[in-house]
Amino acid sequence: MTHIKYFVLASRQGKIRLTKWYYSYAASEKEKILKDLTPLVLSRKAKMCNIVEYSDHKVVYRRYASLYFICGITPEYDNELLTLELIHRYVETMDSYFGNVCELDIIFNFSRAYEILNEMIMCDGSIAESGKAEVLQQVKTMDTMESNDNLDRVLS
Amino acid sequence: MAGSSLRSFIKDVRSAKTVAEERAIITKASAKIRTKLRDDHLPQEKRRNNIQKLLYLYVLGEKTHFGQVECINLIASDDFADKRLGYLAATLLLDGTQDLLTLLTNLLNNDLSHPNRYVVSLALTTLGFLSSSELARDLYPDVENILNRSKDPFLVKKALQCVAKLILKDATLLEVFQPLYLVSLLQNRSICTHGVLLSITKVLQSILSSYPQYQNSIKQEDSTADVSGIVTELVPMMPELLTILQNLNTKNFEPEFDIQGTSDPFLQCELLCTLRMFFQVCTSISVSRIDQYVNKFGDLLTQIATNTDGSKNCGQAILYETVRTIFSLNMEQPLRVLGINILGKFLSGKDNNSKYVGLNTLLHVVPQEPAAVQRHRKFISRCLRDPDTSIRKRALELSFAILDEANIKELVEELIEFLKKASEDDKSLIVYTVENLVTAFNVNQSVDQNWKLETLVTVLKLVGPFITAEPVSDILISINNATDSRHRNEVVRDMLKISLDKSRQDEVTEDNVGWRIATIWCIGEYGGAVLQGGQDKVVSESSLSEYLVQQQKLCDKSENKILHYILTATLKLSTHINDPGCIEALRQIVVSHTKDADLMIQTKSVQYEVIFRQPSSVKKVICEAMPKFEKKVEPEVPKNLVTLSRTKSAQQEPPDVLDLLGDDAGTSSGPAKSADSQPQSSPADLLADIFGTDGNGIIDATSNKINAPQTLQIPPESVKVHESASVDCFVRLVSCSMGIAQLELYLKSKESIQNFQTFCAVPKTQKLTLSQIHPSNSLEAGQVARQNLKITGSGKLKLRIKLDFMRHGTNDNQQFDHKFDQTL
Repeated sequence: MTHIKYFVLASRQGKIRLTKWYYSYAASEKEKILKDLTPLVLSRKAKMCNIVEYSDHKVVYRRYASLYFICGITPEYDNELLTLELIHRYVETMDSYFGNVCELDIIFNFSRAYEILNEMIMCDGSIAESGKAEVLQQVKTMDTMESNDNLDRVLS
Repeated sequence: MAGSSLRSFIKDVRSAKTVAEERAIITKASAKIRTKLRDDHLPQEKRRNNIQKLLYLYVLGEKTHFGQVECINLIASDDFADKRLGYLAATLLLDGTQDLLTLLTNLLNNDLSHPNRYVVSLALTTLGFLSSSELARDLYPDVENILNRSKDPFLVKKALQCVAKLILKDATLLEVFQPLYLVSLLQNRSICTHGVLLSITKVLQSILSSYPQYQNSIKQEDSTADVSGIVTELVPMMPELLTILQNLNTKNFEPEFDIQGTSDPFLQCELLCTLRMFFQVCTSISVSRIDQYVNKFGDLLTQIATNTDGSKNCGQAILYETVRTIFSLNMEQPLRVLGINILGKFLSGKDNNSKYVGLNTLLHVVPQEPAAVQRHRKFISRCLRDPDTSIRKRALELSFAILDEANIKELVEELIEFLKKASEDDKSLIVYTVENLVTAFNVNQSVDQNWKLETLVTVLKLVGPFITAEPVSDILISINNATDSRHRNEVVRDMLKISLDKSRQDEVTEDNVGWRIATIWCIGEYGGAVLQGGQDKVVSESSLSEYLVQQQKLCDKSENKILHYILTATLKLSTHINDPGCIEALRQIVVSHTKDADLMIQTKSVQYEVIFRQPSSVKKVICEAMPKFEKKVEPEVPKNLVTLSRTKSAQQEPPDVLDLLGDDAGTSSGPAKSADSQPQSSPADLLADIFGTDGNGIIDATSNKINAPQTLQIPPESVKVHESASVDCFVRLVSCSMGIAQLELYLKSKESIQNFQTFCAVPKTQKLTLSQIHPSNSLEAGQVARQNLKITGSGKLKLRIKLDFMRHGTNDNQQFDHKFDQTL
């Protein structure tokens, strides 16, 4: 079962690229977590396992090129190995959406990255859709509707 | 930057050379967005543009509260692009607690019945993210409406996800939720995509996890109410769920959901987890029809455990979930062993993540299946050498969890190997290991004592630089308590050889404080015994003294702890050697600290110096080796005795003390007083009991002997306040000012008395503090004991004292009053 508390993307330089909270943390707690996460994850060596204990929960992360994908998980419910699959699935989906995704794609199109995440992971932090094609199709259809709207507006 | 796009804003921020420059750009943009959003005449497109920038500020971790209302305005727009952005912004910037949510209710209400399925889906997603219990109650009918009407898998999926969240937010929705909807939905294969199945499991999980709490809240209002219908109506889904899981695991038809040859691990895990919760809840409320499915589920778990390809992470994820299910339902033994073996396989693999979860899970299930875990000891030990700290830590914990009398030798060898390779980075792991090793030795008493001692010394040699004082003293206790003293002396001799031999100096580094302390202590305790066993070039009277002298020179201010050890060792060693030169060198060590800045050390040195001057027959007795020390077991026994006797005396006391003040004018009732003085006298008993009774093994022989010869004298200025056949009582007023009086009570016995106790009472306006009786509560004829009294408060200074003691084996008590001239 997946029941993640938050999903954070951070660059190798420690810059936060995306944050999504599935657990109601107070603003100060969020700030603290974000401050702690990057040094915690960046200090890990390549050969170490991708699961770290942090505060009262665990953090599962994986690095793809220059970006770290980091999930806070609930140890009692979450399946750490499945969380890694979830991260991988998200990366794959973005890869198909952007076509060979890179950090810059995510920086400039962060709202798209959020849209994809919202289709994949539901409000309580568990997986909502396991089909990659389904996620892509819904996001792309909404994109088309959006651009049709824009076209209408220009024409009128 | 005016009117610029989101893209150029991001570029600007990225192009900043310094943090300060970046900050300036962001602050400026933030201010600008704030003004723009306040402008009512801003064109819609600009408005959207600004919200996009606002979202970027959110990503950067900036304040965005000023745009919250604007997000809601965007949702109200008819434009799909606006709605989409508005909903996205709402899920990010708003949280479930704000008043703004009431503004949202209407908008969501409209959009949930919007003709465009994407608008509906956005509304459902947002409702899920922002649901408060009010929103849950208000909007649940709309969501239910979608479920009842729609045949669109996409919308059904979204609506179910939303329901799952709403039920968690407000458990009373269980009353209105129709479980039969799920049952019939599951039978309608055309709708059941993987996404819909996932969301069905989510709703089930929500129902099952909020059910116990809901049941309790209902039962509180009406104890006869039975709400188990919600769960029993779901039971017909069980066979269907089992079949779906079985099919998923065995057949792999859909390439869309395939991950490296495994079919949809996400759905498989969710199904496993849901079934697990199902069985847990059903067993807790004893649903009768559930039994028939338990065996079937067991078979299915066996099948999954054997069929799933465990070579890839996704397969391992399913296997891991299976194992967790087996153990949380405590399935039958063959299944549990199967589960342990799966985890064992994780450990033998190369992947660090599966090793980590394997160790972690094994640690939890050791109590359920200890023997099966033992079988994988080889791999557990191998994980001790893993380059990853968190894996080593888990492996250590697990090693100690499976340690028993049968495997202690082999496991400890492995642990020593681990300690040999451990570096300074592993400090916490080292401390953990040593602490647990000592505990393990204490628990497994039957272990070969000689081997245990050698092991501990080896451990100390390896990790001395890293460990704290606590484990070092634990090791010293073990050396002290060794049963075979001949063997112990040999071990100590070997230790000394390493410490004293210059050519072996590199074996133990100077920062090995633990080793140094142990050596110093052993010289003091066993120096004599070792020397008796024969002197050689390395171990001799002069080399031992020389070592202490050197160590004392090495000590700087920060190492006072070592200095304490050195001083005691010096004194003790001096009684065992004959060479006057060496003895003098040792005496000089003590003398050099008699003016030490540290009070404790100074006191110790002065006292030791006194002992040094005693004739050797006296010294020998004082400096005998320590008695056997029971660190954990023994002190508790006298403690219990003390509490017993305390309660006994507490029961007897109140009437006595009340009685004491009975005739005192102005102090009509004494309970407050007795409550005051009682706990104060009790700790004194307690201490007196512990220190007074000889032979409970925890008294430092040295300190006891030092105190004994100092006989108290009654100061001449004290006043005799009481006289009887067995005891005389004197009081001296030390000081009396500012509402505080200090008194000294002297008791001079005329015959041998034991278990001496004093109960004192003062007028109601005053408060009394009693110290313990010094030097002890047993007196020989002619001996004097002293007790300090402190009285605070106001009024005339007067005392009522009751003496309680044992005389010739019988209880006796005496009572008297004394009035002072002074007033507080």
